[in-house]
Amino acid sequence: MKKALAVAKWEYLEKIKSKSFIISLFLTPIIMIGVGIVPSLLMNRPDSESIVIGIIDQTSSFVAPFEKALEARYKLPNGQPNYILNNLAFDANSNLSELKSKADRMVLDKIVEGYLIITPGVLNDSTIDYRSKNAGNIKITSRLERVLKDVVMEKKAVQKGLDPGIVKEITTTLDLNAIKLTKDGKEESGGFEKIFFSSYVFMMMMFFLIITSGQLLVRSMLEEKSNRVIEVLMSSSPANQLMAGKILGLSALGSTQIGFWAIIGVVMSLKFSMTLLPLESAAILLIYFILGYLFYAAIFVAAGAPLTTEQEAQQVTGYLVMILIIPIMLTIIIVQNPDSTLAKVLSYVPFLTASMMAVRIPIQMPSVIEIISTIILLGLSCVAAIWAAGKIFRTTILSYGKRPSLSELWILIKSK
Amino acid sequence: MLKATNLRKEFSTVVAVDNVSLDAERGKILGLLGPNGAGKTTTIRMILNIIQPDSGSITFDGKLFTEEMRDLLGYLPEERGLYKKNKLLNTILYFASLKGIDPKEGKRRAYKWLEKFDLLTAYDRKIEELSKGNQQKVQFITSIIHEPDLIILDEPFSGLDPVNQITLKDIMLDLKHAGKAVIFSTHQMDQAEKLCDDICLINKGKVVLEGDLAGVKSGYGKNSIRIEYDGDAKILSSNSAFSASQIYENYAELVLAESAQPHLVLREISQVLNIRKFETTEPSLNSIFLNMVGDKKFSPEVKDGQQ
Repeated sequence: MKKALAVAKWEYLEKIKSKSFIISLFLTPIIMIGVGIVPSLLMNRPDSESIVIGIIDQTSSFVAPFEKALEARYKLPNGQPNYILNNLAFDANSNLSELKSKADRMVLDKIVEGYLIITPGVLNDSTIDYRSKNAGNIKITSRLERVLKDVVMEKKAVQKGLDPGIVKEITTTLDLNAIKLTKDGKEESGGFEKIFFSSYVFMMMMFFLIITSGQLLVRSMLEEKSNRVIEVLMSSSPANQLMAGKILGLSALGSTQIGFWAIIGVVMSLKFSMTLLPLESAAILLIYFILGYLFYAAIFVAAGAPLTTEQEAQQVTGYLVMILIIPIMLTIIIVQNPDSTLAKVLSYVPFLTASMMAVRIPIQMPSVIEIISTIILLGLSCVAAIWAAGKIFRTTILSYGKRPSLSELWILIKSK
Repeated sequence: MLKATNLRKEFSTVVAVDNVSLDAERGKILGLLGPNGAGKTTTIRMILNIIQPDSGSITFDGKLFTEEMRDLLGYLPEERGLYKKNKLLNTILYFASLKGIDPKEGKRRAYKWLEKFDLLTAYDRKIEELSKGNQQKVQFITSIIHEPDLIILDEPFSGLDPVNQITLKDIMLDLKHAGKAVIFSTHQMDQAEKLCDDICLINKGKVVLEGDLAGVKSGYGKNSIRIEYDGDAKILSSNSAFSASQIYENYAELVLAESAQPHLVLREISQVLNIRKFETTEPSLNSIFLNMVGDKKFSPEVKDGQQ
């Protein structure tokens, strides 16, 4: 074991000091937070100046209520209205196409941000055009839409002889409050999406660890093959200790990365008061996490050891990553009915056990027998996979050139 | 020290090593010689326990291989390479730690060797910043830092400049005098001739010649002639006085036919060539090598049934 530790120490300490590791350690969360939060921050950032919106109101009855509602709903921080309507009824006699071309010019000259066209048939076809240089500005269009909808609804109600206040009241949206019942009959309300979300995060973390550490493993074997250090390593340490050391060191490296990000994640989720997994579930999941990870790590070793070139490595890791997507897709089906026979059967497939359980446990804890038997099966599969990977590693790590076929690998595994 | 007996290794259809036995003793340098693809590397890998022989046995001081023995072996492979992005001292310490040397002791030894190879100031540089020759020196250090009892050097001189070749040669002799067993694998016969105590010549997976160097050479007798000359050497290539010849631009190594007399030969060829040097001698290791593995253009006669 001493040699395995020496290898693990080297792999861990030398890579953790590398620039690329440190960069990705900090850059990834920054990018993730950036992608997740910055757009919504920008969306919600209040405007500093009033925005002028043009309106061509062919019904002549829209402008006043619309302006009132818009002003009431959206204000600038300084109390001024966020949107100012510019009524473009240039001339009652001019036709629509003339009006439009004039208004278009105003948009292009930045006199108005955009303009609305309220046609006489608006109450029948419920369609309003908004013409703007920047039609993709969701913030403006969604706000306009919301207010216009209210105005149209109110007008329709009046037209049909209904009290707009009552209509408003009876058309309020509904919140469905899903309540999860636990085994002992207790209620847990409200957190379903959040629990589901956190179990998904858990699974994503595992796959992220598998992919990063797996790629590191393949790359490290490839490097030692191409610089021929592998021969010296093999003469200094038994092959299985070398392999164990690599898996250990690079997993530690991946875990450091994930751990660092998880801390950021926990801090963030506490800040946004998201529900975390209960400790008991997390502990069981951790067992699946580790076993599932080791199972894939062995596969990466077996797939990576026979390779010689960078291209081959990219190809093979590409395939493995694609295989990893399968459990993620399956969980989307499973989550709808975590207690189904399909979910139970799939939980016994070593490739899928960890991800199935990551989805099932937070939603509904499987029976103790199921948990114990899947852990034993996954554990045994791990031992078998590592054993087979060791055989493949031992032989193919010294061979260069042609990649062995699957049947050749099978012969290697069977050989004594 | 090391005794390998009747090693055999097959790879799918090829017999890479066939019944090879060799003996490396303490305080001696054993030349493991042979052409490319003869099975030298496979033999070395079996000795190092990187691969297992199909049959045959390997013992160290009479004991079968155990994992602890790995720490007593040092190996410089023919294909050179180190981790490019890592620092010199760290790299040396890693290989030392793999051989069970703790960092403190490893550092002490590393500095000693770096000084010897004039690399002390570069200890904190990355390997890729060093010249090829200097990288080789670092790799040599990694192969002996743990003071192994058996050192296997595969073409250690290739890529080194003459100055460093001398440094390396001195170190090899130091190791030998310190009682280490050294296996020196090469196909540069002149170096083997200068350094080796014993040789083992492998061709096509089989041992074709072995023993102590002096004995091997004397087995061929003094029927070789080396000459240096000016002139057209055509007379040498078609002459019945020689059973074999190896002719260069103004140097030739010739083997006398059984009936030929050296002084008569000298008289004959000096009429055509301007002879600057004429020497009857033992064949060089190079000639023996060519004889054993070559296409018989140059084949000294074998005396006394010695192979």
